[in-house]
Amino acid sequence: MSTTPRVSSAIAAEPPHFGSVLAHQPEIASSFFALYGRFWGSDVLAARIKEVARMRNARVTQCGFCRNVRFDKALGQGLGEEVVDDITDSYETSTRLTNTEKAVLRFTDALIHDPELLTGDARAALQRHLTPAQIAELGLGVVLFLALAKALITMGLEPEAMDRTVLPTPAVLEAAE
Amino acid sequence: MSAVCAALAGDPVLAKHYADFRAKAHGALDPGLAALIGEAVAAVHGMGAAPDEGGLDDGTCACLAYARRMPFEHTAITDAEAAGVVAHLGEAGFVAYSVVAALADAECRAALVDLPGLAGG
Repeated sequence: MSTTPRVSSAIAAEPPHFGSVLAHQPEIASSFFALYGRFWGSDVLAARIKEVARMRNARVTQCGFCRNVRFDKALGQGLGEEVVDDITDSYETSTRLTNTEKAVLRFTDALIHDPELLTGDARAALQRHLTPAQIAELGLGVVLFLALAKALITMGLEPEAMDRTVLPTPAVLEAAE
Repeated sequence: MSAVCAALAGDPVLAKHYADFRAKAHGALDPGLAALIGEAVAAVHGMGAAPDEGGLDDGTCACLAYARRMPFEHTAITDAEAAGVVAHLGEAGFVAYSVVAALADAECRAALVDLPGLAGG
């Protein structure tokens, strides 16, 4: 996996990173950030649940950038590092993750890794813990997390080293609404 | 309609935003090439026939080879493979191409877990 950018920054004086590289395509960028802000701004599904799925995707896809970023809204909903540390391949045995979060992780693994993992029991558990609207929002989130991580990696935008970084949760862009 | 758009039928605002993002990404590429990406990625997932590459130029074939790696080998794509896409499409095209290929993979996966059925109650 390359940590050498395969595309230059489109913003003067900024190094290549997701935002500066996506600036090569300003219409895609503005549409993506409007979508991502609306997704994170919606409270149909709690930010903590979304972040649990995002952290799982980060680990499975090996996206170092995604793995080191934390969104503050989920932190405010109690997603501390001791919980994040349990989002490993052994998450089923965690005593810190809720049953809802484990159902979400099974779905996330099925979508990003192997659809056969969504057995009848896993599917039933997901539908027992989440409403259809919440599942739709979760599905959108996992699709975006996966696509974003793979695009980052294939464009060579993985950091060689990165500290854990808490960022403001993406928000609705008022001007875009 | 993609599996994601179908699953978002109950949330018109998010559905509109997602459809706009998808359209902007696809719209940044030649429509024929965008369609080929979808076919190539879907074929890797066993969701359809691989596109007929007979008659395609070498640059397009290199792009499709890159797209086919996205589902299961995204970490193994080499600098040279990526450079081949940049050479054919330019940097801006490479960015759009990477987004569309990654999105195509994720949409196939959403269909394979029956996201619309799960979200339909």
